[in-house]
Formats: sequence, C-alpha cells, structure tokens
Amino acid sequence: MAVDPVYLVQLTLNGITLGLLYALIAVGLALIFGVMQIINFAHGELLMVGAFAMSFALPAMGSLYWPAMAAAVVVTMIGGLVIYETLLVRLRPDEFERSILITLGLSIIVLHVVQYLFTANPRMVDTQYGFDGVLIGTIRITWTRIIGAAVAVAAFALLFVLLKHTQFGRAMRAIAQNREAALMVGIRPRVVARNAVVLATGLCGLAGAALAPIQLVTPGMGQFLIFKAFALVIIGGLGNIPGAIVSAIGLGLIESWIGGFFEIVWQEAAVFILMVVVMFLKPDGLFTRGGMRVG
Amino acid sequence: MKAVAIVVAALAFGVLPYLTSSNYILGIAVSAAIYTVAAAALNLIYGYTGLLSFAQLGFWGIGGYATALTVVTFGGTFWLGLLWAGLLNAALALIVGYPTLRVGRHAFVIVTLTFALLVTLVARDWVDLTRGPLGIPGLPAPSLFGVELKTTAHFYWLAWAYALLALGFLYALGTSRIGRTLVAIKQNEPLVRAQGIAPMPYKLTAFAISAAITGIAGGIFAFHLKVIDPLFLDFYYMQTFLIMVIIGGAGSFWGVVVAGIALSALPEVLRFSSDFRMIIYGVVLLVIMLVMPGGFAGWIRQRRVARMRAALR
Repeated sequence: MAVDPVYLVQLTLNGITLGLLYALIAVGLALIFGVMQIINFAHGELLMVGAFAMSFALPAMGSLYWPAMAAAVVVTMIGGLVIYETLLVRLRPDEFERSILITLGLSIIVLHVVQYLFTANPRMVDTQYGFDGVLIGTIRITWTRIIGAAVAVAAFALLFVLLKHTQFGRAMRAIAQNREAALMVGIRPRVVARNAVVLATGLCGLAGAALAPIQLVTPGMGQFLIFKAFALVIIGGLGNIPGAIVSAIGLGLIESWIGGFFEIVWQEAAVFILMVVVMFLKPDGLFTRGGMRVG
Repeated sequence: MKAVAIVVAALAFGVLPYLTSSNYILGIAVSAAIYTVAAAALNLIYGYTGLLSFAQLGFWGIGGYATALTVVTFGGTFWLGLLWAGLLNAALALIVGYPTLRVGRHAFVIVTLTFALLVTLVARDWVDLTRGPLGIPGLPAPSLFGVELKTTAHFYWLAWAYALLALGFLYALGTSRIGRTLVAIKQNEPLVRAQGIAPMPYKLTAFAISAAITGIAGGIFAFHLKVIDPLFLDFYYMQTFLIMVIIGGAGSFWGVVVAGIALSALPEVLRFSSDFRMIIYGVVLLVIMLVMPGGFAGWIRQRRVARMRAALR
C-alpha cells in the first residue's frame, strides 16, 4: 500500500495537537488522583464549561482570543474552587467510590442544566484568527490548532517548573508520595488538595477554551473526552503526570493515523484495546519507573 | 413465617394483569421488574463485593443486541438469544475483569466505565452488524410453547417470572458462603487472604454472574420495547440502576429491591421532563452520598444499632 507522505504528515500533526489537548485533561485527573486519591468525574463537564465560557467571552470581547481564553480559565478555576470547598473537602482519602458517585452526580447536574439553558445544539466559535492557517508545502494547519498545541506545551512547561521548583508544587508531590510524612513536616493536606484541584480545573478550562474554536461546542463534548482521559490515566499509571502526558500524545497520534487509514470504529476502540493490553503487560501503567512521579 | 410472607407477596405481583388492563401501567411494571433485576445485579458487584462497575450499562446493551441479532440476523429463537446474551456477557466479564482486577479497585471503576462507553461506540459505528444509529426496529414477538408473547401482559409475566428467578438466585447467592465471602472481601481483603481464600475467583464469579443477569434483563427489555438502537445504551439506564442501589442501600438486598420498584413508579407519577428528571437524579445522588452514604437500608441499620446501644446503657 502506497502512503501519500503529505497525508501522513498532516495526520501526524493533527494527532500531536489532539494528543496535547488530551494531555491537558489527563494531567488534571492525574494531579487530583495523586494528591487526593480520588477521581473527578465532573472533569469533562468542567472542560465543557471552559468551552462554553470561551464561546460567550469571545463575542463579548470582540473575538479577541487571549482575553477570552483567560476568562474561560478563570471561570473554570472558580468552579473548581467551589467544587472543592463544597463537596470534595468532605471526602477522606479512602473513599474512592464515594468520590466517584459524588462527582458523577455533579456532572449529571452540570450537563443537564447547561443542556436545559442553552439547548443541545452545537455552537460554532469564531475567533480573531477565523479559519486562517499556515501553509507548509502543501500541508495546511489552522492557527487555532497551532495556538492550542503551543498553549498546551507552555502549560506543561509551567506545570513542570511549578511542581519541581516551587514550594507550592513540592507540597503537592510530598502529599502524593507520603501523606503521613508530609503531615509531620507541617504540610496542610487541605490547602494542598485545594490548590491541586484549582490547578487541575484551570488546565481543564484551558483545554476547553483551546478546543472550542477547533471543534463544535456542545454540552456533551466533555463526556466523549473524559473517558479517553480516564483510560490515559490508567495507561500512564494512576497519578503519574509525565506518564499521562506521554500516553496522551501517543494516543492522539495513534487515533489520527488509524482514523486516516481504517474504519472509524477502530479509531474509537484504539484507546480501550491499548488500555487492556497495557494492563495485561504492565498493570501499574507504562511509566511506573524512571519518571518524575508526582503522585 | 417471614419467608412465607415474602413468597406470597412475590407471587401476588403475578396477578397484576388481572387487576388492570392498562398497557401504560403494565409497561411501567415491566420496567420496574427489569430495572430491579439490573439494580440487584449491580448490587451484587458493588454492594456486596465493593467493586463499582459501570460495565453494567455495556452488559445491558450487549444483552439487548445479542438477543435481537440472534433472532433477526441469525434466525435463532428469542430463548436462544437470551442464552447467548448471558453467556457472551459472562465471558466478556471474565475477559475484562481478569486484567483489571489485578490492578485494583480504582482501575476497575475506570476500565468498566470505558468498557461501557466503548460498547456504545461500537453499537453506533459498527454499522454492518448493528445497523448503526438506525437500530433494528420491529423485533418479533417471542413465542413460548406455541403461544406468541404479543401483549404487554404477556411480557409482564415474562419479566415477572425472570425477576423472581433472578432475584431468588441473587438472594440465595448473597446469603450463601460465597455471598459472605464477597462481603468479607469488601470489608477487609488482606484478612480474607490471610484466611487462605483467594479473592480473585470470587470477584470474577460475582462480576460474571452480575453481567449475565444484566444481559438477559437487557434482552427481555429490548423485546419489550420492540426496537433496539444505540439509545438503548444511554447513560440514563446506568444512572437509574445506580440510583436504585444507592438510595436502597448498597449491600442490602431488600433495600435495593424496594428502591427498584419504588423508583420505577415515582418518576412516572410525578411526570418530569427528561432533562429535569436527570437534574433531580443528579441532585438525589449527590445529597444521598453526602448525607447518608449507606442509603435507606444503611440509615435504618444505624438507627437500630443506636437504639440497641441506648437500651444497653
């Protein structure tokens, strides 16, 4: 089978963009799991809220991309803070199933309230960049995709610095590695958990804002993405942040390639097959050794 | 005495079609019987064994599709379809359960969720087999000993008989040595291991049984609706089963059965719009998990313990 190299490069670039945005979502989940040992089911809905905030902020700010994105991130971070202070703060670290059911209830409420208020019709989001793009040879990429990918990379760099080199991030890693020892040296788990949740929801809102101009915004958009993010967290190792990033980019590439050459069923099934294979071969995730284990 | 009363009450449900000829009420009764069985099956894996499984939705859908396809595409009978639904689901539960349970109960939740969503995607996108979003309409009425089960009353008897069978089996299982071992695994797995019991076969058995029972329930329900399409895998069903288990009280057989029957009737009585009903479901789930995580059964048990303590004092 002869493969058109231009087509292949196009698929690869699309795959990397997609993977970077997956990674933003998966990293947030991994961060929360690392610090609190819980899974946030409402993460997909926070992404959707971010995308909706973007879609409302853009017309209000005259289609300017960056202020609208900042507004979307702030909105989701406030959402994360409220969720933490009202619901998650009541959870103890061993109440894994309870955390899922509480955040599941929250996700149902948010999804259907948004659907009720704004209907399930998809919304188009227009930015100052429109659908312009750059041409590299015969390959065309829209600016919104390039910026989305760049924003994700910048966010990971910032996250890395934050976790490795600031007291704020070191406290998170300390809690994730050994809760009792962290308590003994005077780290307050409640504050650290709140920071982690707000940080994770901020990343999630960023992903939503970056996705809004790339695809259609619907109330159900978070649900499709979140289950992939769950699978990525398993593949990368629960609570392992670099693992989640690497497996997210890998998945983006694989999905894009499969989508280009095979039937769409396989594109959707890829993540599940990958997850089962990884669990058979390395039950603790692909990246359990060697990486910076944040959680 | 108590057992006799329960048997009489269970049999009494069988005369419902003689009391009313309304297909609307009988239709709700079919849903109540089928949902209660699916909720009780979820209770086996979540309430007793402590493993939260979202795969029930997938098993429900696979059961529906397997039965429908056996009849429509492969020309088998309805009963053969139900058999396939049960066997296929039990096999899938083992295949998904084994690698997942090796990782732990956190991974189990996530993997079963992914599995359920994957089944939805396959139902929608594998058009050659499932006919995609169009679904398979006009499922024929099954026949039993030459009698065609055409009316809603017939289906009610089928659903009722299956509910009695499945709930009886789950009750017997729950009170047997296996059931007690499952509860022990939930409460303290290291202790179970220390007693020389390997938890894995027990967990897998519970998962497979719960999958098979849910799948057969799905098969019956699909033929009651007379149509199957990807909407059969709507997350709404999973939420319904889950709410029944949570409100009734995870781990309490009777709590879940009563909640299953009551919660099938209640939304119909109150007549909510579907979006609004989902919001209420969400709020109920949230509040119950925050205020009384043991559900009503757990709350009653707590009260009884408190009263015994007070009496002793």
